[in-house]
Amino acid sequence: MNDICLRIHGLNVSYDGHTALKNIYLDIPHRQITAIIGPSGCGKTTLLRSINRLIDLTDGAKIRGEIWLDGHNVMSDREDVTSIRKRIGLISQKPSPLPMSIYDNVAYGPRIHGMRDRKELDKTVRSCLETAGLWTEVKDRLQSPATRLSVGQQQRLCLARSLAVRPEVLLCDEPTSALDPVSSQNIENRLIELKKDYTIVIVTHNIHQAMRLADYVVHLYLGELVEHGPASEVFQRPKQDRTRAYINGTVLTKPRTDVEINLKGKVCPLNFVFAKAALENLEIGQVLKVIVDYPTAITEVPRAMEYDGHKVLGVKQLNETDWEVIIQKRE
Amino acid sequence: MISKRRLADLVSTRLMLAATALVGVTVLFIAVMLFLKARPILATNSLGDLFLSSSWRPSRGEFGLFPFIMGTLWVTVLAGIIALPVSILGALYITEYAPPRVRAVAKPVVDVLAGIPPVVYGVWGLVALSIGGIAIGFNVLSGSIVLAIMVIPVILGVSEEVFRMVPQDVKEASLAVGATKWETARNVVIRSSLPGLAAATILGFSRAFGETMAVLMVVGNIARVPSSPLDPAYPLTALIANNYGEMMSIPLYDSAILLAALVLLLVVLFFNIAARLVLIKVQQKWA
Ligand SMILES: Nc1ncnc2c1ncn2[C@@H]1O[C@H](COP(=O)(O)OP(=O)(O)OP(=O)(O)O)[C@@H](O)[C@H]1O
Ligand SMILES: [Mg+2]
Repeated sequence: MNDICLRIHGLNVSYDGHTALKNIYLDIPHRQITAIIGPSGCGKTTLLRSINRLIDLTDGAKIRGEIWLDGHNVMSDREDVTSIRKRIGLISQKPSPLPMSIYDNVAYGPRIHGMRDRKELDKTVRSCLETAGLWTEVKDRLQSPATRLSVGQQQRLCLARSLAVRPEVLLCDEPTSALDPVSSQNIENRLIELKKDYTIVIVTHNIHQAMRLADYVVHLYLGELVEHGPASEVFQRPKQDRTRAYINGTVLTKPRTDVEINLKGKVCPLNFVFAKAALENLEIGQVLKVIVDYPTAITEVPRAMEYDGHKVLGVKQLNETDWEVIIQKRE
Repeated sequence: MISKRRLADLVSTRLMLAATALVGVTVLFIAVMLFLKARPILATNSLGDLFLSSSWRPSRGEFGLFPFIMGTLWVTVLAGIIALPVSILGALYITEYAPPRVRAVAKPVVDVLAGIPPVVYGVWGLVALSIGGIAIGFNVLSGSIVLAIMVIPVILGVSEEVFRMVPQDVKEASLAVGATKWETARNVVIRSSLPGLAAATILGFSRAFGETMAVLMVVGNIARVPSSPLDPAYPLTALIANNYGEMMSIPLYDSAILLAALVLLLVVLFFNIAARLVLIKVQQKWA
């Protein structure tokens, strides 16, 4: 195959007569990351669920059109839906571990598709957990229930579970929206590594994330395809006003910082104390930027500041060790 | 001075504790009372004679309860073997497979079946047996079928509620790696519902245990240890219901019947506790 992986041809979806996707024509490039952006309710989830036919489960959903994967029309009744879903994995917004052990979660797909050999299963489980960046954290407790993992670990487990059936396409529906900044970063890094072997489609509300990850961008608005193209073009020179408005509206208003403090090398309680003291001196509405490198501080400083009633505008990784936390003073 | 809210909290906590304690004390009280009433027979007959002997000749002072205990086990276990698969598959069908319209009809039908008084099932069983059932006759199998029909609506109804609690996300996670509907039902829906299914089963049988009439009408009531489903049986419940208050002239008879009641209570308690323990184990493993 050349550089197109999925070809969506005239896709229309409606729920009980209410149109959710109108006449979508779209090519999704092979082994790249495609980001789908757009406001809430514009049909992003509907599009992903159509691609791997999970939409079949929704009562009242009507689908018309074709989606071609490598000479097969995914939408055709003649196609075996289980083999389509094996080839096109989906990771949902909320991590959903199966009610079994960590090991069994990852081995679930391969077993269903006929892998019985214990050694082969062990190898698959290990390599998928490694790829998902979870192996070192769970290798000593593979038999414990998956639900005991933290939410961020659960999401990586879901990634490993999807990878275990060797899909060609990986659909991710806001995979990091339930996660803290460190776990999100972790997932993002995995996706970037994975794109050399997989075609990845990610839905995200976070434009920064789309900018960091995407090679190709699709903008949906009220069920219509507004604009799509290589990320550099869409982000820098959007052709459509609506796309420009969406991008500007959601993000590009970079918060201007009033004060910046550097807390690198400080351990945890000190981070709070200094951040708090710095906020004391600000006027309401002014913005403080804190640079930290202590791992707990990355999640705990924003949490503590929000607890104090301030607003956290963003948390971003700057390099290997350093993170910036941007806080706006309230009350 | 404690605030009104704190006081209400305190009082309600105490009340709940008292209510729970009352239930526990009642069970204990029943057990103790049955034991006291059964004491005379425990004093004259050895435990071996009472529980392991098959000879039930009250007029000669022989009160072997073994046939009744075995009768109870046979009927209950066979009913379970019939009822469980039917209830679970039925509940799965209603929650996972049935189109919305079938679901809308099936649910009330099941509820109505669960609400029919068991004695109606018993009479129905009698009628069914006398019309076409000569081949089956009055035996363990007939009793089990009637018992199964009584418990199926209860177990099915509760299982259905339990299956409905399994989050859609988890089912989709299974389907999304290419599992079929049945694989998903087996590995995800049933698995995460096991605690609930166990509770449903206990509930169904606890109810059925108490409702003897239906079973005793069709089970044959012959005090012999059954050796196949086609043999007649005489479950403990039937023994108690048929005989308490009659034949009180025979010495020790009422004591023997109350001992049977005590055994029944202990058996039910034992199964309840065992099921609870299994449940806890299962939950630890998968929760
Ligand atoms: N099961 C359903 N039944 C009826 N309408 C639905 C159903 N699922 C989605 N819709 C409707 O279809 C439209 C598109 O929904 P969809 O979930 O695809 O949006 P989305 O872009 O993923 O939104 P979000 O960003 O909030 O997740 C919405 O108007 C929604 O109300
Ligand atoms: Mg969505």
